[in-house]
Formats: sequence, C-alpha cells, structure tokens
Amino acid sequence: MAQELAHAGISWRLKLVIALALLLASTPVLMTYTMLMLSSFSKEIVTDPLLRDFEPTLENWVIFLTGQLTYAAAGLRYNVVELVASTAIVALGVALVATVSSMLAAYSLSRMDFKGRRVTLAGLILLHAFPGVAMIIGVYIIYIALGNLTGLQGSVAYTMLYVILARAALEVPMATWLFKGFFDKIPWEIEWSALVDGASRITVWRKILVPMIKPGIAAVLIFTFLAGWEEFVYLWVFLKPRGVDSLPTFIDEVVASAEYYQLTIVAAAGTFYLLPTIIFFIVTQRLLLEAYSGGLKG
Amino acid sequence: MAGATQNRTLLIAGAVVVVLIILIAGYFLFAGGGEQPAEAPAQEEQPAAGQQQEQATGGQEGVAPQLPQLTGDVRTDIVNIARYLEANGVTEVKFRVHGAGDPNSIHRVYGIVEAAARLNKILEEEGLQLRIVIEDKKFSAKADEPAEVFLQSFPQRQEADIIAVSYRWISTFAEEGYILDLTPYVEAYKNTELADYYESLMNAVTYKGRVYALPQDTEARPLYILKPVMACLGYDAWEIAQKVDAGEYTWYDIFRIAKEAVDQGCSEWGVIHRKGTAHPDLVQFYYAFGGEFTGEDPEKLYLYVDALYKWLSVEYALARNGLTPENMLEWDWYKQIHPTIVSAKTAFDIGGIWYWTEWQTKDYYLDPQTGERRPLTAEEVYEKFAYSLFPAGEPGKSPVTLSQPFAFMISANAGKLNPDYEKLKDAYHMIAFLLVVKANDPDLNAIHSIVSSHLPIREKSAQLMNDQEFIQKLASGNLDFILDPEARDAFAELSVKTANPINIEFLSKVSYMLNYTNVPPLHWAYQPLAEFFKEAVDFVLKGQMTPEEATQYVLDQIRADPELAQAIEIVGEIPQGWTFP
Amino acid sequence: MSYSRALTLAFFLGPAMTLVILFFVLPVIVTLYASFTDLRNWNIQRGLTEFVGTYNYEILGYMAFNNPKVKYAVITTIVFVAATLFINVVGGLTLAILTFFLEERVSTGYRLLWLLPRMTPVAVYSLLWYYFFHSSDLGTLNKVLLSLGLISEPIDWKLWHLPVGTWMILVFVNGLVGVSFGMIVFYSAIKSLPWEYIAAARVDGAGNLTLVRRIILPQLRWHLVFVTVWQLLSLLTTYAHIFLLYQWGTIDRLWGQTWSLFVFTTAFLGDQRQGLAAAAATVLVAIGAVLGLITLRIMGFQRLVTRPRGEL
Repeated sequence: MAQELAHAGISWRLKLVIALALLLASTPVLMTYTMLMLSSFSKEIVTDPLLRDFEPTLENWVIFLTGQLTYAAAGLRYNVVELVASTAIVALGVALVATVSSMLAAYSLSRMDFKGRRVTLAGLILLHAFPGVAMIIGVYIIYIALGNLTGLQGSVAYTMLYVILARAALEVPMATWLFKGFFDKIPWEIEWSALVDGASRITVWRKILVPMIKPGIAAVLIFTFLAGWEEFVYLWVFLKPRGVDSLPTFIDEVVASAEYYQLTIVAAAGTFYLLPTIIFFIVTQRLLLEAYSGGLKG
Repeated sequence: MAGATQNRTLLIAGAVVVVLIILIAGYFLFAGGGEQPAEAPAQEEQPAAGQQQEQATGGQEGVAPQLPQLTGDVRTDIVNIARYLEANGVTEVKFRVHGAGDPNSIHRVYGIVEAAARLNKILEEEGLQLRIVIEDKKFSAKADEPAEVFLQSFPQRQEADIIAVSYRWISTFAEEGYILDLTPYVEAYKNTELADYYESLMNAVTYKGRVYALPQDTEARPLYILKPVMACLGYDAWEIAQKVDAGEYTWYDIFRIAKEAVDQGCSEWGVIHRKGTAHPDLVQFYYAFGGEFTGEDPEKLYLYVDALYKWLSVEYALARNGLTPENMLEWDWYKQIHPTIVSAKTAFDIGGIWYWTEWQTKDYYLDPQTGERRPLTAEEVYEKFAYSLFPAGEPGKSPVTLSQPFAFMISANAGKLNPDYEKLKDAYHMIAFLLVVKANDPDLNAIHSIVSSHLPIREKSAQLMNDQEFIQKLASGNLDFILDPEARDAFAELSVKTANPINIEFLSKVSYMLNYTNVPPLHWAYQPLAEFFKEAVDFVLKGQMTPEEATQYVLDQIRADPELAQAIEIVGEIPQGWTFP
Repeated sequence: MSYSRALTLAFFLGPAMTLVILFFVLPVIVTLYASFTDLRNWNIQRGLTEFVGTYNYEILGYMAFNNPKVKYAVITTIVFVAATLFINVVGGLTLAILTFFLEERVSTGYRLLWLLPRMTPVAVYSLLWYYFFHSSDLGTLNKVLLSLGLISEPIDWKLWHLPVGTWMILVFVNGLVGVSFGMIVFYSAIKSLPWEYIAAARVDGAGNLTLVRRIILPQLRWHLVFVTVWQLLSLLTTYAHIFLLYQWGTIDRLWGQTWSLFVFTTAFLGDQRQGLAAAAATVLVAIGAVLGLITLRIMGFQRLVTRPRGEL
C-alpha cells in the first residue's frame, strides 16, 4: 500500500533514471558472473568486458568432468563424482537437519510457555548475530575428542555427519526465527480445539501446523541448502584432511597452484558449482526474498 | 493415548535418523567406499617397547614365526615378513599414498603403486598368499598439500601411510613423532639398495642424527642465460656460463650485462626470477654471499646479517634499475613469467631445471610468425638457453645452487588400516619401508627424472639415463619393465612426450650441480624465517623499503617473537660502506 | 511441569538445543581452555595437557605492538570493519529506497541481483574477484582502464598505495556481500510503513526527496542502529572470502589479514599454533559477546518475547 502511494508521485522519467543508475551500479557484478561462465567455454580466461578474448572450446569441461589432473590423460584422476557428491551431501544434510530441528524448536518457542524461554530466545538472537565460524578451533578440538571417545574416528560417515551437524547448527538460530514467524502468523484458535479434544501437542503440530507452513518449509529448506552449498571453511577444515575433496576445496587448491594448471578449467568447475545456486535463484526468487526478510525482521 | 503419541514421536525422531543414515550410506555407494573399520582410537604414543615384548611372548607361545629382522635384501625380507603375517592370518596389507606437485610428477604416487606390484610379483613367485594393496592413491596440485593434510589428519589417525613431500617437513613431523624413524631400516639397507644414494641427499633427510625419510627426487636451480640476448650484445652465452661456474663472474657482472641488455634494447628485462614459494629459490643469494644457517649449536638456526643485506641489496638494485619487475613476486606464471623467458624478453632467468621440459609441454610461447601460442620444441629450448650455477655474490665467494629434495615419509601409524595393528605394526612398517625402497628402483627413479625433469637421487639411475637402450624404450613408450598397467600407461604417455635426447642430455649435464648444492636446514624456525625473507624481498623489489630497512624488518620480525628470538642466532651486522652495484 | 509436558518440550526443543550446545556453547569453553595450553600441530594428546598459563595472551599482547603481522592485523581489522560497515549501511539504505521507488517487478530483479553475492558459493565468488583484480593486464579492472586510456600500465591493485589498494579490495569484495543485508532489512521496513504517513505527505504535496527525508528516514532510525551493530558483529568474525583471496595472492599477505583471519591461519596454516590462535579467538568472542548484548538491547528484546498465546 505504502509503495503504491509512494509511486503515485514519481514520474516515469525518474523511474527510468533510477533503474539505469542501478543497472550501472550492478554492472561489475553482472559482468564478472558472465565472464566466469564464458571463460569455462573459452581457450583463454575471459576477462575483457567486450569479450574480445573469447575463443570457444569445450575442452575445459571435458577435462574437468573427466577429472584429469596430470598431463598424462591415462594417469591419476580426481573423482568428480566425489567432489559433487560430498558438496551436495553436506548441503542436503545441512538443509535437512537445520530445517527439522528449527521447525521443532520454533513451534515450542511460538506456542509454549516454559521456564527459560526468554533466555532461549535471547540466546538465539545472540547466536544468530555471532557467526559460530569464529569458534572453529573449539569445534575442531571437539571433533577429534568426540571421535576418539566414541571410536568413530576415521570413518567418513562420522566426519560427514559432524560437518553436517556443525554447519547446520550455524543455520539453526536464523531458521528458528523464520519458523517462529510462520507459526506466529497461524491463529491460535485453529489448534486450540484440537488440543481441547485431547490431542497431544506433537500430533497437533504434525497434523495441523506443519501442513499450514508448507511454503515456509520450502523456503527454509532452500535457504539452508544454499547456505550449505556455498560453504567453504568447514569443508576445507574437516573433509579435506579426511581425504574427501569437494568442489570448493578443489577450486582453492588449483587456483593456489595456478603455476601449473589452467585457470579455464577452474572456471568450468566454478560455473558448474554455481549452477544450482543460479537455478534456485531463478526458480524461487520471491520465496527467497521473503524468507530472507522474514528471518531478519526477527 | 499419550503412549501412542510418544510412539509416534519416536517414529518421527527415528525417521530423521534413518534419513541421515541413508544419505551417508548413499555417499559410500557413490564414492566407492573408503570407510575403514574404526580402529582402537588414539593412544598413539604408546611405548613401543611394550609392544615388542608382547610380540616376543606371543611368538614363543605358538608355532608362528617371529617378527623377522630386515636383512638388506628385498626378496628375503618381503618373504619373511609375508610368512610372519600369513601366520597371523593376514593375507592383504593396505596402504594409502598421497603425493603432489607438477602434473608430470606422477611417480610420487605411481612409484609406490609400482613398488607394490613389484613386491607382489616376488610374493607370487614365492608362492605366498599375501598381497599389498595401495587402496587410496591421491595426487594433489599443490605441492605442500599432502604435508598439510597429513599434519591435520595424523591426530585423527586418518593420514596417508606414505607421503611424498618436500624434505623440509621432516623437522616438524619428527618433533611431533608423526613420522617413522627409519634409522634401523636404513642401517640394514645401507650397503645394498641405499649404497648408491647421493650422500648430500641422505644428509638432507637426516634430522638430529636420525633418518626420517628417503629422498624421492631433487633438482637444481640454474641461472638460464638467454642466447639470443647475449648474441644481440655480442657475447657468447656459454662463455658467460663457464665464467660463472668458475667463480670469475659474480653478481656484479650479471648485473652489468643485464643492464647493458636492457639499455641497448636487447631485452625488456634483465633478470627474471621465481615468485610465490620464492624463499627456497631466492635464498641462493644468501648462500652466494657466504651465508650459512648452521653453526656451533645444533639446536640453533644461524642468520648472517651481512649475507642477507647483500642479497636484498642486489634485489633492490635490480628493481630500481628496471632490470627486474617491481612486482616480480606477483607475476603470473602462465601469462607473464614463462612467456617473458621463452620469448627472450629477459637476459637472465633464475629458474629450476624443470623449466627445461615445462617449456616444451605448456604453450608459453607466442609464435611471432603464426601468432599462435604453443610450447617450444626441444631444439628451440636448446637453441635459446645456456645455463650455469647460481653466480657467486661477489669476488671471493663461490657459485652455488640449491636443492630441495622431495622425500618419501612414512607415517608413525603406517599400516593402521590393517588387521591386528597393535600387534603386527612393526611388520606393516617394514613393508611400507620396502615400498619406498622399491619405488626408488633405478629404472623408476630414472623415468621420473626424465619425465618430470628432476635429478635422480642415486647413481644407478644416473647411469641408466645414459643407457641408450633404456632411453629408446622410453621414447617408444614400451615400458614393459613397469608391472602395474595403470602406472605403465601413465608413464608411457609422458615418456613418449619427454624422452628426448636433448632433454636427457640436459639432465645429465646439470647433474654436476649437485656437487655445489645447498640444502636449507631442517630447523623449525627456518619456515617462519623464510617467510620473513620473502616479505623482505617483496618490500625491496617494490621500493617500499631500502635494503637496510628490509634487513632490519627481518631482524625485528625475529625479535618480535620471543620463541624465534631464542631459536635464531643473529650473526654480524649490516656491513658499512658496501655497495651494489 | 508434568512428565509428559517435559517430554513434549524435549521433543520440540531437544534437537536444536543439542546442536546449539554442542556447536556454540561447548566450543567457546574449549577454545577458552585451549588458549591456556601450548597446543601446536594439532597434537591434542600432548598439547592439551601442557598448560602455559597466560603465556599465549602475553605473546599476543607483545606481538600486537612489535610483530608487524599482528600489528597490521589490528589496524586492518579496524579500517576494514569501519569502511565496510559504512558501505553496507549506506549502500543498503540507498538500494532499499531506490528499489522501493521502482515497479515491483523491476525492484524484485534488482534486489535479487544484489542478494546473489551473498548466496554464491564462497569459492566461486572469490574466484570472480581473483580474475577481476588480477595484477596483470589479465585482470578485468586493468583491462578496462587500459582500454579507456586511463592508465598506461597494468596496476597491481593490492599494492596500489599499500595498504590502500589491499583495503579497497577487501572492502569492495566484502561490501558487495554485506550490502544485501541492509537492503533487505530497510526495504521490508519501508514497505511496512503505515500507508497513512505517506498518503498524508503526498496530500501535503511532498516531493520524493522530502518523502525520503521527512518520512522514511526518521522511521528507519532503529533499523539503522540494528543493521549497524549486527553487521559490525559479522564483519568482525568473517574471513572465508578474505582467506581465499589471501591464499591466492589477490591481497597483500601482511596488510590483508584481519583479526579473524589471523586466528584461522595461525591455527590451520603455517605456524600451526592452536594455543595462540585460541587466545586470539577468545579475544574475538569477548568483543562479540559485548556487541551481541548491545544488539539485544537495541532490538527491544522485551517486545519480542511477549508470552505466547499457546497455553491451555
């Protein structure tokens, strides 16, 4: 409403000026993304905005997807499936864990009154504001200690699970706030009658509330998936020493030894890595924007 | 009612867990497994003596053979170990290997793979059941990657059993007890397999009197002299090279010639050198000016201030006179450094011997005739470059070179993937050692030297590199002496490309440099110090600091860290009245 | 609280609480503990039993004045946080107001575009700017300026008036990521302004500028403070992008290191001194805790925790 009223006084000329100004400001961003994608199809890295250095080839993609790392094509290869699978499993795991645990927690914070609720809420905000990635040393020590304690040390499953849980934990505060917002919007009367009839909280939550916040679940799932997908530090710290490579650690390694390797192949890897993000972006644009602002309004 | 809901609660919670498990299980199916049975965790610094006692008594009880001692003969040893392991019910021994480096250095992984194949062949011939399996072979682009990963994964017992990394990691790993002390094994083999290893390289892998690794390859860092530029100036490049090697020409002369070249328009730059991991390369200046890192006290690292100052003065003068780019340390290898060298846009280049073949495999050269980027041919490289030792810093000093051998190191927990580890680990360690010994077989070491343009680590390999029949085999790609088919294909592909008489001649010609070589010290303080050197070089090249300031910067950096200050003995001071050029 | 009620609560709150305790609370305690030990090279068994008292803190204090690496890290952190914060808040506000004035469809497009850097995989995003700021004529920025004739030689940006060039790259790269946060908060705040305000202003004949200055900005007072403190906190602790640019040599190694990156590199690269890094991390956590409490105050916490209408 406010927006329409505000618009009422704006000439189309001013709108055009604003749109163009924004376009100009966005140019570097648009440009760099475009050039990265073009580089992956080019013999030389494309860094010229006029694309004069674009020489089309598919070679980069072939080399990247076949996992060739040494000059001997017959030789040692990295496992592209492993790169993609590990990145995807972490992202999916983060999405699942963060969404489910937040959805549960948010309900109780929205509907139940209990001792410590205030502290919990305050804590969530604090944690949301304070990126846990700063505590990576502690998280790593716990990882080793826990692995030794349980005898799970060394199994890839343990490392994967730990990374997923640790990374998901970072998303919990934000996702909980998001869900709390969704639950708060649902009129209390809807579940009241069911509760009076003697149904348990859990049943009500599962049968009545969860179906009502389906768009919210979708939004949080996507949101947390993207958060897990873009992760670099956790994969570098935990998975790499365990011998599990992922897309970001691969990119990091090859760019760091650019002395021997062709950057156009990294461009192919980068473009590949970027694709899911872009796709989700285009498909779910509105949902994403809303989810984001919902979570931040707190 | 309440019970029912609680059941449902459990169901939901269970479902979450199940989904997670499925996800992870899916990963294994995908990645082809890799999960190891969780061994008894930690307690890695278990007193080894206790273990041996246990084994000794265990051996007496049954008919099982006792843990054999190494004899120095590979066949005897592997057979003895195999009998011992088989008696303990082991028929398969698994290892992980992790190597890294330039894309031609596949020997750092395939060497071990082929060694396993060779040991297995012996076992097969002797009718034994035991087989050695390299179950995880990993090759990284970044040379330090296996070491960094090893450091972080050792405490979790997830490290590779055998890694091929720069020798300089030995001190850190040895101090922490992360790698195996090979001294007793080396003792057994010193008169047989290890007899012809170069002594300087065996010294390089010795730390505080104990041997912790076996060298894998090495290099030298020559001064490349561009023949076309010298011709333009009316000089004979090889004559300059000879004078440098004889110590007649010092950096004063190189500077003079480089300046002439730039002033007369014969080349764009005077001296190009390496960047990034610059410290091992550029520290040659320090040695060329008579610097040393060792002294009376073996616990300390020595820093000669005058050598450091003179080194930085040369860099400063080079950059101020426009002979070396100010941002040399940020130059791009692919777009700037190599194209500048191969297009003869510099008079000199301080590089590595591996450049020789790198120029033939990567398209650094912009052909002025066709306008196309392509690699040089071997003939073109031969025509373009003369080479010498790294020149002496000033009259009265000697020319030098620098080697940073790569080495095979064995984890202190090597073989941990195998059954009954605590009881049988000594046998597993011995097999790991035999793998490394076999990976350095003369033919394998020679083929690695040739395809990756490194210097061999033993005399037998060097001899083989003069053997025409052997070279013919490499050139034709007929590598029937390599047993592992995967390794054979990979090596064949590379050797057909690289086994060129010109290149092999180059390698045997530069081998003399190993007599002049310096190996930077195995002291924990060397790494932080080298980091300061690199920063100081960067500062003087850019003119952000004068040589005095940069020298002072290094000293301040050392003093700023109480531990470094204690470990590094600073000798002498900035010389008065010394100038360059 | 009855048994079944407690069980229900545990069902709802349990998983999230476990995660929070395991990955937020416990690490802080462990980090604090490690900061009093001489943990090195991840030798946990040995390191965590070697107590060195406040040695790590003393060294850190000493280095902050004498060791260029740490000294510059402090300076860089202050400059980086201040400059990026300014850009994020002002940029976010500008974007929010400008997009507010546009048609819904165009506006959505732009806001999405500006959200993209935040959602882009860290490694890919850093890669983009690695090419962009490359020191040779390979770099896009150099290429553009060269072809426009503004410079005659490619500039090595990280060294440009060192440390200004490095700081510029840091601020630019992180600013682009952070700007979307302010944009989204401000945009939704503006959108939810009571329409009566705007209607009244329009009836009074207020122009666009007046509308912004008199109506919109005053209403955003609290949001401004909130975004500022929040961003301050996350800028203090962010390092993923900086780490990659540092690894790849896009920024100066000495001047491009912020405090949080110093913590990370000391623990996981080079020195491998986890005890020292833990001490540096503890300092960060302490500052973060104070800022976090301020955030809570600002957000008018009381308002958020009104008793739920959910009890029978």
